[in-house]
Amino acid sequence: MKRNNNAFASPTTVGLFSLLSMVLFCLSGCGHNDGSVMAENEMVYSGVTTRIRGFDPVKAGDVSSAMAISKIYEGLVQYSYLERPYKVIPNLAESMPDISEDGLVYTFKIRNGLFFQDDPCFGKSNGKGRELTAEDFVYSIKRVADVKNQSTGYWVYNNRIVGLDDFRDKSKDPESTDYDSIVEGLTALDRYTLQIRLVAPYPQLLWVLTMHYGYAVPREAVSHYGGEFLNNPVGTGPFVLEDWVRNYCVKFVRNPKWSESGRIELYPSVGEEKDRASGLLDDAGKAVPIIDRIVQYVISDPSTQWLKFVTGGLESSAISRDNWDAVISPGGGLTESLKKRGIRLNKQPSLNVFYVGFNMNDPVVGMSENKAKDLGHKKLRQALTCAFNSETWIKFWNGRIIRAKGPIPPGVAGFKDEPAQYPYDLDKATKLLAEAGYPDGVSAETGKRLRLTVELGSADPQTREAIDLMSSFFREIGVLLEASYNNWPTFLQKMERRQCQLYRLGWIADYPDAENFLQLFYGPNSSPGPNHSNYESPEIDKLYEMIRTMNDTHERTAIYRKMADIVEEDAPWIFTDHPMSFGLHHSWVKNYKHHDFPYGMTKYRKLDLVMREEWQRNYGKKHWRE
Amino acid sequence: MSIEDNKKKHGKTLYADAWSSIRRDKLSMASLVVIVFFMLTALYGTCIYWRYNIIDAESPQMLKPLKVVVEKVLMADRVKGQVAPYQRQDLDNRYMSPSVSHVMGTDSLGRDVFQRLVQGSRIAFQVGVITSLIAIPIAVLLGCIAGYFGGWVDDVIVWLYSTFACMPTLLFIISISMVIGKGLTGVYIGIGFTTWVHLCRLIRGEVMKRKDQTYVRAAQVLGYSHARIIFRHILPNIMHIIIINFSLRFPSAIQTEVILSFLGIGAQSEPSWGLMINSARFRLWYGVWWELTFTTLAILAIVLAFNLLGDALRDALDPRLREVER
Repeated sequence: MKRNNNAFASPTTVGLFSLLSMVLFCLSGCGHNDGSVMAENEMVYSGVTTRIRGFDPVKAGDVSSAMAISKIYEGLVQYSYLERPYKVIPNLAESMPDISEDGLVYTFKIRNGLFFQDDPCFGKSNGKGRELTAEDFVYSIKRVADVKNQSTGYWVYNNRIVGLDDFRDKSKDPESTDYDSIVEGLTALDRYTLQIRLVAPYPQLLWVLTMHYGYAVPREAVSHYGGEFLNNPVGTGPFVLEDWVRNYCVKFVRNPKWSESGRIELYPSVGEEKDRASGLLDDAGKAVPIIDRIVQYVISDPSTQWLKFVTGGLESSAISRDNWDAVISPGGGLTESLKKRGIRLNKQPSLNVFYVGFNMNDPVVGMSENKAKDLGHKKLRQALTCAFNSETWIKFWNGRIIRAKGPIPPGVAGFKDEPAQYPYDLDKATKLLAEAGYPDGVSAETGKRLRLTVELGSADPQTREAIDLMSSFFREIGVLLEASYNNWPTFLQKMERRQCQLYRLGWIADYPDAENFLQLFYGPNSSPGPNHSNYESPEIDKLYEMIRTMNDTHERTAIYRKMADIVEEDAPWIFTDHPMSFGLHHSWVKNYKHHDFPYGMTKYRKLDLVMREEWQRNYGKKHWRE
Repeated sequence: MSIEDNKKKHGKTLYADAWSSIRRDKLSMASLVVIVFFMLTALYGTCIYWRYNIIDAESPQMLKPLKVVVEKVLMADRVKGQVAPYQRQDLDNRYMSPSVSHVMGTDSLGRDVFQRLVQGSRIAFQVGVITSLIAIPIAVLLGCIAGYFGGWVDDVIVWLYSTFACMPTLLFIISISMVIGKGLTGVYIGIGFTTWVHLCRLIRGEVMKRKDQTYVRAAQVLGYSHARIIFRHILPNIMHIIIINFSLRFPSAIQTEVILSFLGIGAQSEPSWGLMINSARFRLWYGVWWELTFTTLAILAIVLAFNLLGDALRDALDPRLREVER
């Protein structure tokens, strides 16, 4: 099985650290009066975003684009906003699907009377949006499989749905793909019934269908806009795209089709215990979306972002590393001046892992046919793991990361809260390094000092400082680490061509299941797949093939743990950290709850306009440190 | 009375004359002092750099004896395995404002800003000198040949430098760094190969003017070779142009390096001024002023000093220009 690059790996890895400064949830947007004429008392949410690459659900590969797409398009199912652990609830589907005993057939009933937004592409009905049918999902999933679309998401359906792989093979023909050809596992039984038949059980299917690779796209729009479909989204979702200036600003406005067609979505009325106390359930049962308009700017300079936030121009903000001491007091809370302004701090562990990967095809650090060499290289990797000074690393990040001990982050089944097998220990590192054939970092064979090169996908000052710090860790045991800074596309290319020796990357979960992390070590997923270390282990491959179709049981969790142990021992990665998300919100932002998969959740957000106005009067013109 | 004696008694050489005119000008002297100061700083930085790096530096067999000597001189074995002062990190003492222990404060990894500034001046001088070593010989050689021979040789060289002059310097350097990889080597080559045109043009014109003068004619009549005439007779007479050009291109090379490093295609892991400014600008308004201030002041000082001195040199060495002004 081969999977494509993970949907959300890109931004993680692009910005690496700058991701932290973006902080996932604040991407959902915020903003301020931008000068355009707006109705009185309109609820406008102002925010920042990073570059949006387009609005085609099959092509998005990064958090910002996915966030934008999820405002416009919707899928059969969605995550429950407030409930934890994460739970899937119906969205465009009427109810949760009927699943056959053997777990192979999923039957979805689609809600009647749901319409796409009005758009010129619906020429037959004079631009009036058409009703959503089961065929739309058949079509949309086929689009992900069509080779010509170069989707980033085929891995989610690969070798899973009966007949879809054949469809993909056929789409390789130079002639245009025949979307009317029948895929056995994807059928519309009637206008409102969709049936998905699987090759083998796929316990993550419902998680996957919440992602934008399962969103409904109207066929008319694709054929009407052709290549421009990327810039002309036509969806069923709570918002429609109002304006988009690439790399500057994106605006969404409430979808008028909802009120026109009488579609009503309600704010959830179930949540966790503490949600009632914190006011998250105050709007239970009210119609969403609550906000009327979303305006997001691309602001890449962290200081500009910050100034806009503290003057009330943005609803939420991240905290940049350099700004840390001014924002967070030594006790870990906000400083007085920010507290006084009613700004709230949200601190959450999030489902991701950052690492320094070794290319297992590399002659110095990789795997080898030669047994003795292979063992030596493994010891070298373990030595470098032991030399990684996680305490200093955490200090560098101002304590907003958790040391990673293995591939599975806390928060999903399979996480081990035990000491690492190879913790920071210089004596052990020196010993392992000597055993690997490099006493004190100098090769016993050639007498030369060991020099390693780490490839980076960005060259911003923060990355440079982090790498300077990391190379000082390795210098402690006599190993020189040199940095090679690339732009993101070059970096990706180098990884795909297996030209890296070491590389730094992160992985953000696509769904709350450790399987999503363990597939990164599956041999057939090697580059250009997401296993960029090109790590191969017969044992891991065997175990992965076992868990791939297993339901969530204790037995499966035990296998997850076992796999994590094997990976830790083989050390294809130095597990560096699990970043926590740190974000700030103004007091007038209501109904915000951190979610690891916040796609489509902007519709629940609310703003207290009176509060904002009062705040503006009191603090809008004051220096933020006063 | 021989010419030498005459000189001693009555006249001064062009250079001695220039020196005395510079000495009279306080501003020029101040510039000179600043330049000498930075030169010493760069030398100190070079010593520090090699002291900590020479042992691990890989050198070809031929240079091994030299390496051994340098190791001895710098007493490199005493600091073996230690971290160079500009790389020493201390996360407990980051963002420290200037104090006795860190005269220019510390950066976000707790590294001493002064030590990094010293390394920055080493890199700046390295860039200035190496690019001059590339550009000036090219310019002098081509300019002399074109001016002296004229005809089709001149046409070819003029075509060549016009072509080079058409290329945007920055893009040219970026494309070079794409080919040979990012780093200072790319900067040397890039700046070196794009900045010779101006000097070449000047020299060509000057040689053209002089090739018909009597002393050149005389040398030709005596049957001297072209090379001898160009390099022994004409070149010494136009040396001042090269000196002036050198003093003016030096700061611009430094500026280009800083810009390139700021953009991320210059120095990679070494503390270049450009990299320092790039990381310092994010924390300036959080109150960490010392990194940006001292780095900017250093650049300002050296560029200004070189430019002032260059102007003074031009006034002193180019007599015709002086006459026009008076």
